[in-house]
Amino acid sequence: MSQDVPRKIVHVDMDAFYASVEQRDDPSLRGKPVVVAWRGARSVVCAASYEARRYGVKSAMPAIRAERLCPDAVFVPPDFLRYRAVSRQTREIFSRHTDLIEPLSLDEAYLDVSVNKLSLPTATAVAEQIRAAIRDELNLTASAGVAPNKFLAKIASDWRKPDGQFVLRPHQVQAFLQPLPVARLPGVGKVTEAKLQGLGFSTVGDLAESPLEVLREAFGSYGQRLWELARGIDDHPVVVERPTQQISAEDTFAKDLLLDEFDDTLLALAEKVWSQAEREPDRVGRTVILKLKTQDFRLLTRSLTPLEPPSSAEVLGALALSLKSRVDLPERTRYRLAGVGLGHFVDRHELEVQGELFGLSSSR
Amino acid sequence: MRFSIQREVLLKPLTQVVGVVERKQALPVLANILISVQGDRVGFTGSDLEVELSANCIAEKTEDGEITVPARKLFDIVRALQDGSVIDVSVNAERVTIKAGKSRFTLSSLPANEFPTVDDIDVIERVSLSEASVKELLDRTAFAMAHQDVRYYLNGLLLDLRDGILRCVATDGHRLALCEAELELSVKTRRQLIIPRKGVLELQRLLDVGEGLVDLEFGKNHIRARRSDFVFTSKLIDGRFPDYEAVIPIGADKLVELPRDELRAALSRAAILSNEKYRGVKVEVSPGRLNISAHNPEQEEASEELEAKTIVDNLSIGFNVNYLMDALAALRGVNVMLCLRDGNSSCLVRDVENQRARHVVMPLRL
Repeated sequence: MSQDVPRKIVHVDMDAFYASVEQRDDPSLRGKPVVVAWRGARSVVCAASYEARRYGVKSAMPAIRAERLCPDAVFVPPDFLRYRAVSRQTREIFSRHTDLIEPLSLDEAYLDVSVNKLSLPTATAVAEQIRAAIRDELNLTASAGVAPNKFLAKIASDWRKPDGQFVLRPHQVQAFLQPLPVARLPGVGKVTEAKLQGLGFSTVGDLAESPLEVLREAFGSYGQRLWELARGIDDHPVVVERPTQQISAEDTFAKDLLLDEFDDTLLALAEKVWSQAEREPDRVGRTVILKLKTQDFRLLTRSLTPLEPPSSAEVLGALALSLKSRVDLPERTRYRLAGVGLGHFVDRHELEVQGELFGLSSSR
Repeated sequence: MRFSIQREVLLKPLTQVVGVVERKQALPVLANILISVQGDRVGFTGSDLEVELSANCIAEKTEDGEITVPARKLFDIVRALQDGSVIDVSVNAERVTIKAGKSRFTLSSLPANEFPTVDDIDVIERVSLSEASVKELLDRTAFAMAHQDVRYYLNGLLLDLRDGILRCVATDGHRLALCEAELELSVKTRRQLIIPRKGVLELQRLLDVGEGLVDLEFGKNHIRARRSDFVFTSKLIDGRFPDYEAVIPIGADKLVELPRDELRAALSRAAILSNEKYRGVKVEVSPGRLNISAHNPEQEEASEELEAKTIVDNLSIGFNVNYLMDALAALRGVNVMLCLRDGNSSCLVRDVENQRARHVVMPLRL
């Protein structure tokens, strides 16, 4: 990646995403400390609203601890289907500005807006528009960081959180980084931090001034990366989300069944997989996969790649059923789980289409 | 039951029959073969309920009787015995003893009456052909059968019995192979039946290019082939084969003639650089010439130019190269003819001299 022309990277991070979606959809939760977590002795906090964070509740802490910290918190079980749907809406908003989108999770993504679709004059304006659209259309808030690379953009988005935006221009980078503690650099955890402290590095500025060799000797190739990060250098490109490679659905039976006793389930799973595949009409799955787990937890998969990719839920179901004939376990074997998958996806335009003799497409 | 036989004589029918026995069976007795001795004849029968094969040979020191023994084990034992050994097989209580020289084996058995055999197939029609022509019909068409297609009736071979002609047709929905043989006797009414894939492959394996006759018996649900030393029975696929005559192109009047071997060789070279999955090649025809080109995702390219007898100009069509090569391999003539219409329509491939064998290949949209 060339450093001559600075890139313009935006990191968008939804504020307390799951908790905010819950508060948005249930007015009774607004203004209250909300903790999104499963009920259960071993469950952890998936998200906490800003009201709950005031009590010290944080993501990934045990739910029991959160309850102790904030006894008044409302606990809501996560509903990932809904979060995923909202996440898709945010991506749609991003895609108005760029196709170079790298989602990190449901609630954050990097965008490369060096060139933006609406020809807005600055990356700052792009970030502002995105945040405004999220506020107006989705009734949620997001924070954004604008910087010449991914690592700086991510630090920047955290700078004015929540509902804020921070722009780091190339000439400001050194001054901004210098006072930061080394722990702010990606990859620096407790162990590395202690090691850096031991070498006398406590701020990013200390690191930036150190000779490269010292860091190389102490950390190997990561030393090089640390040295670059400390100087604000990060060439990692925005990697567009890998398009669908495989879709599958599976079901564990209430009781273990013989091979011929769950055709209905396979057909239902095929339908589920198909309806998911249909959401991406530009991608075509070519391989049908049947997955089975026996009573004694042996896992077997059978797959088939027909010349003509499956074209409907029915065909997918029929192919999945036909794969049963390739299961060579004794007939009395019982199964606890069955799955149907569709894999080996290719872009539709890449597909060479073999003509059908008996289909509607045939002509002679 | 008892018989005595030379190893090589026994090995032949055993080899044939053991091929029918599946590794996993619907019934335990189907892992066995049925041995029946009558007079000086010993019969061996294997079955998977879809396909049944009885092969027989002459033995000595026989005592009539029937029993079933594990097919694989018997076969492996006989095969492992020394060349030229004389093998004695006899029943003692429920055990079958096999003796040869100083070797002795005792096998478990199951009663013969537990072995399901197809006795009467209700013969509707019967034809006799030379063994070589039955084999030819199968060899020149069977490769085009579908395999595990949801259209189950394509997972087999159609026998189309019509006045004076027996025609075999196979298709996987993308290409079709047809071959026909003349019959000496005409049949009463046209009959179509579909032999399942496994039956076709077994029969192909059994037949040789001999001049002797093979009787084909058509039943309502079975087909049976008889040669002097075996009786082969297969269930039929209960389904309607698609109207294959409707897909043999009639409007394909753009003709290209060229030597079969040259075309095959050029295609096989171009195929090296075709997409592994779709095997696409582009065929372009201009007066006096046929060009073949292929490229793969790595953008490597192959191009072949052939002289051809044609006046067709400016026609371009894509094919799965395997389909074309299969068709050419199943033809016999020195020169072949491609009958085309346009880039989206099927292509008929046949020998120039006759159209006893016809191949239809649907194009690949590249």
